[in-house]
Amino acid sequence: MKKLLSAAVLAATLVGAPAFAAPVAYKVDPSHLSVGFIVNHLGFANLIGRFNTAAGELSFDKDAVEKSTLSVTIDTTSVDTNHAKRDEHLRSPDFFNAKEFPKMTFKSTKIEKTGANTGTLHGDLTLLGVTKPITLAVTFNKDGVSAASKLETAGFSARGTIKRSDFGMKYGVPNISDDIQLLIEAEAVKS
Amino acid sequence: MTDLLNDPFVQSSLLPLILGAVAVGVLRLVGGARTGRLLAPAGIALAFLGLFILVVGLPAFPPPSSMGKLFWSAAGGLVLGLAADALGLKGRPVSVAVAVWLVLALGWIAGPALDSLAAAVPLLVLLAVGAWVAFGGSAPDGHSPGSSSAAAPAAVLLALALAVGVTALIGSSASLAQLGLALTAATGGFLLWNWPTERHVWGASGRVALGLPLLLAAILALYTQVQAATLLLALPALAAEPLRRRLPIPDTGFGPALGTVAVTVLAVLPALVAIAAAWALSGGEASPY
Repeated sequence: MKKLLSAAVLAATLVGAPAFAAPVAYKVDPSHLSVGFIVNHLGFANLIGRFNTAAGELSFDKDAVEKSTLSVTIDTTSVDTNHAKRDEHLRSPDFFNAKEFPKMTFKSTKIEKTGANTGTLHGDLTLLGVTKPITLAVTFNKDGVSAASKLETAGFSARGTIKRSDFGMKYGVPNISDDIQLLIEAEAVKS
Repeated sequence: MTDLLNDPFVQSSLLPLILGAVAVGVLRLVGGARTGRLLAPAGIALAFLGLFILVVGLPAFPPPSSMGKLFWSAAGGLVLGLAADALGLKGRPVSVAVAVWLVLALGWIAGPALDSLAAAVPLLVLLAVGAWVAFGGSAPDGHSPGSSSAAAPAAVLLALALAVGVTALIGSSASLAQLGLALTAATGGFLLWNWPTERHVWGASGRVALGLPLLLAAILALYTQVQAATLLLALPALAAEPLRRRLPIPDTGFGPALGTVAVTVLAVLPALVAIAAAWALSGGEASPY
């Protein structure tokens, strides 16, 4: 009798429980993806740069964000600091070595929830042929149907700091800072 | 002091000049009267590697990038040159060893860029110059009047490194520029030891040093946006010694000293032409920003 009761309770629980949402595939919208960086120049000021070409895919689980995954590929030749000669230098072997390493990639390995709409994104960054783990502080901004595109959209912001020398990009350190701040703003659209 | 060491101008001129001169002197001293004369040119490659660590940092091994491959190729060449000279190897075995080193180093560096026939052209040109370094004109030529058996190939090295360094500077590749100019200055340190009286012999270590601008040029041609074709204009520098032999240099006590000056000028002139061409093609703008 006791066993029968237990089975009945379990069945009722399973039937009555809300269905668990599976991660949903999203594509990062290139027109609403900004990958920026801040680097200190000789201690005088910080220089802001960006990459103009990037793509990414997000597997997003709204109800269990720690199950979400993200991968981003950045075209290093698209580096842009609003100065043609400097950008040419940044593409040279001194920095991004863009002819030899045209892509920089990030693949998430773990997402930890730290607040109602914040988390820590752990992942592997591959730059100049070197892969190292990095962490980014992520803020999940909003999800829902975009008023502009009428598509299911999720938006988030990410911030973090890496040491470029960890990836073998040592030229100019310390005059051009080793610490690079990363700023990522992205909207992803349900595939 | 740290500020001084981090100054790009010091890193590209005074520091490698001093490092080169000191390293050449120390190797000459350590090697003794006979072997030291052969080992001394290795001071150029030693200074180059020291400056590489200062400017770019010590690369990982195995190196993922062409710059790291440049460093480890140069280090391998240095060991090869020192070993061959310490063992007293001469003639064809040394030429073959240097040639194999150059082919492996250039192939290793250029490998990832060889995605088209056009990309193979610079490599073929560099291999041809490498053949000259290993088998041809950089070998000691005897002691004819005014001859400079170590100074002549050193002058060619100085000229090629200068052409590569300044071309890289014009083309916004600062570390390659610094390394090219550092190699020029380190060679200057070697030449100071050999003027007015020649003291050293251009053996395997010397030929390895002469291969270094080719490795720099490979990266410049294959991995940057620099118009590296202008470097072809520097190649007549290889003929500096045959041209010097045609000059009426007197067979007196001043002959060798005058010969070294003449061969240096003859080698540097084509390098300056190559630099002028690179400058003109860039629209007359270097890369200061």
